[in-house]
Amino acid sequence: MASTVMATKPIALAKASPSLSPRKISIRAQAKPSSTSIPNLKSLTSKLLFSVPSIAMLAATPLPALAEMEKAGLFDFNLTLPIIAIEFLLLMVALDKLYFSPLGAFMDARDAKIRAELSEVKDTSAEVKELEEKAVAVMRAARAEIAAALSKMKKEMTAELEVKLAEEQARIELELAAAIDNLEKEKEEALRVLDAQIDALSEEIVRKVLPTT
Amino acid sequence: MDVISSSFKTYNIWFEISGVEVGQHLYWQIGGLQIHAQVLITSWVVIAILLVSVIIAVRNPQTIPTDGQNLFEYILEFIRDLSKTQIGDEYGPWIPFIGTMFLFIFVSNWSGALLPWKIIELPHGELAAPTNDINTTVALALLTSVAYFYAGLSKKGLSYFEKYIKPTPILLPINILEDFTKPLSLSFRLFGNILADELVVVVLVSLVPLVIPIPVMLLGLFTSGIQALIFATLAAAYIGESMEGHH
Repeated sequence: MASTVMATKPIALAKASPSLSPRKISIRAQAKPSSTSIPNLKSLTSKLLFSVPSIAMLAATPLPALAEMEKAGLFDFNLTLPIIAIEFLLLMVALDKLYFSPLGAFMDARDAKIRAELSEVKDTSAEVKELEEKAVAVMRAARAEIAAALSKMKKEMTAELEVKLAEEQARIELELAAAIDNLEKEKEEALRVLDAQIDALSEEIVRKVLPTT
Repeated sequence: MDVISSSFKTYNIWFEISGVEVGQHLYWQIGGLQIHAQVLITSWVVIAILLVSVIIAVRNPQTIPTDGQNLFEYILEFIRDLSKTQIGDEYGPWIPFIGTMFLFIFVSNWSGALLPWKIIELPHGELAAPTNDINTTVALALLTSVAYFYAGLSKKGLSYFEKYIKPTPILLPINILEDFTKPLSLSFRLFGNILADELVVVVLVSLVPLVIPIPVMLLGLFTSGIQALIFATLAAAYIGESMEGHH
């Protein structure tokens, strides 16, 4: 357990050989001076307590084989700082040209278009009311027209009918007069015939009645 | 001794894989100055991820967005809302800065937690999130400082410096001190969170691998996302603070 904890501490001991896995070597180098018997808990903790300051010291001091590479590990300011700053500024310009400006403009244009269409829809409801009123007026005019035409037609028809009626009446009267004339004539005929017969009859009667002389 | 060395041999493979090398960097030289190469390499990967995903998703914007476009619209709306809340009405020009800050830190932290960097073996040091290096976080914090100074000066001119004696002149030393503590706290908050989370996960993995570290990894994802949000929010708050109170 202690060995694995030691393995994860930043040890860069390059004692014997400058190999690329300094940790393995350091553990073995550290493990050698300990006792060969099975260590008990006390020696383990004492080893740990002893190793911590030694590790800190070793990490702090520059080591012979890696002297030019190892500096103060965490707070190591160098040319990386301005390079990252320049990279960030270039990235900012690139993202602005490729992403923020074009997509932003597109989104704003789309929003404006939607808003314009929405307000248009609200306006057309007033237009619709106007159109409705127009329709009602047109309907009214049409109905009035129809009524006028109907009444005119009615008048014409009745006038025609009256004319026909008068004609027929005149004809009928004529026929009636003719028929009455006929009847009158027949009556006179019949009366004359009757008169003649009456004359003959009265002669007969006189002969019969008067003694024959 | 025999017990210790024998127990080594069984766990050899695990601590070869799961070691942590804190404070060890891969150094490159430019002129007389050194660079932490592992930070540069991982920051290039983060920048590549950001630019490629942005280019792919925002290629042909549709009125009804596709999945990728929808995600990036959501991110942009989130950043706009954040900037507007902190800065106020003049938040427009600051969106690229705050947005890049949020996205860079977020993708860096999550790439450090999710991508299998350990596969690529470096001759010295190891690859991890670029924000686990003090140089990165201090660079971002200094950029934020410059940004809020620039915001205040460009809006108010030299009367920006009146804010140092604003409530009472007695608070002048505190106000000056604030200009140092703001970037300091920003950088160390982010640095400490990311580095400590990495260390905790690595130590747990080396002790009890496979399943037990997973809740801690999930917690690490959550807190690193929050840290990105906090950094961006504070940057916007500092910018808004230096631009406010005009007239």
